[in-house]
Amino acid sequence: MDGIHDLGGKQGYGPVEVDDEESPFHHDWEGREWGIAQCARTPGITIDWWRHCRELIMPEDYLGRPYFDSWAQTDFATYIEAGWITLDEIDAGKSLSDKTDFGNPVTAMTLQQVLQEDHDHAVRFDAEIDAPPAFSVGAQVITSSHGNNGHTRLPQYARGRRGTVHACNGAHVFPDLSAEGKEIHQHCYNVCFAAAELWPEVENTRDKVHLDLWESYLVAG
Amino acid sequence: MPEFDAEKVAEIHQHLHSHLPSESALRVKALETLLVDKGLVNPQTIDAWIEAYTEEIGPKRGARVVAKAWSDPAYKKRLLQDAPAAIDELGFLGKATAHLKVVENTDQVHNLVVCTLCSCYPFSILGIAPAWYKAAAYRSRAVREPRGVLAEFGVAIDDDVEVRVWDSTAELRYLVLPQRPPGSEGMTEDQLVELVSRNSMIGTDRDLGANTRSQD
Repeated sequence: MDGIHDLGGKQGYGPVEVDDEESPFHHDWEGREWGIAQCARTPGITIDWWRHCRELIMPEDYLGRPYFDSWAQTDFATYIEAGWITLDEIDAGKSLSDKTDFGNPVTAMTLQQVLQEDHDHAVRFDAEIDAPPAFSVGAQVITSSHGNNGHTRLPQYARGRRGTVHACNGAHVFPDLSAEGKEIHQHCYNVCFAAAELWPEVENTRDKVHLDLWESYLVAG
Repeated sequence: MPEFDAEKVAEIHQHLHSHLPSESALRVKALETLLVDKGLVNPQTIDAWIEAYTEEIGPKRGARVVAKAWSDPAYKKRLLQDAPAAIDELGFLGKATAHLKVVENTDQVHNLVVCTLCSCYPFSILGIAPAWYKAAAYRSRAVREPRGVLAEFGVAIDDDVEVRVWDSTAELRYLVLPQRPPGSEGMTEDQLVELVSRNSMIGTDRDLGANTRSQD
């Protein structure tokens, strides 16, 4: 999707506000949203669908609202789309249905249980597949010049560019289809691009940009 | 269940724009209230997650990994070869680190990590990402003018040093292994931990020598 979220290389956002104390949350509501996102029940929602729903936030809200606010907005949107909550319920501030097919009631977890859960949530996205990788380390590749109408992880700035395969990551869940609820594994590569290949103003530098890209984004170059 | 209908979601976002309160705190409150009422979330579990990422899980974990790699060459080798297994030795494997890669700074190379498409971050080892990491200015510019961004963090990179920017476009996550600063030779692992800044593990800090001097 050619959306506002695809920020790499876009110009005009000004200097980085580098001052940031190391406290994780600057407002109570940020912590609340972080906590909600970690433990709210979300059956059937894939990480890529959730990311795509965040990308679909109206540009003025995407850029204009604080980061964890956009998480809350995304949670609202994914729940409404899935039919678990309604706009009327948001207005009412309470459940207006006796729908109870979300499974067993969620129970309170202690700090120790949550820490264990964090450890157990080292989720792997790779799998063995029958197809051998199309590219090996050192191969020259060219990225697709097109995006994808839905979710995709090939940024605009790296489309139609020539790079070199730096590493084969194995087969990972393909995000473009995962955002449609389909779990298909496809070979994924770390591809290295010379900065001068990506940016017109860059000359005579040894700087590089590395991206992790799926096989269907690439052709032999 | 989700229907994965993007057009419907775009419409929902428009409705939410006018339906939700304008203040972030009230919006999140509205979400929590409704999800609790629906039985989709438990408020005490939310408290526990906040406590976990305030008191237990944060950049001190990453700093411990870096200090151990500086002190123990065999550990460093394992870390560079298989970072998830190496951090699990310390109990730090977790959210968003199952596909962790460690990239090493040298005299010739400086590494910088960004996520231009969202804000991917190795939570279980660095905690919550700093505000600037999630901001449009950093996400847009780190890939295009990394040296300019680094200068804003007070980091000057010599022309003969290669800057490698890692854009986290997949489920792999990156941790920068900064260089052990001169002057730290006699330090214990516990002392070394104190030298490692959060930013040095993202790549927006490079010379940790000032930290050894400040300990004198």
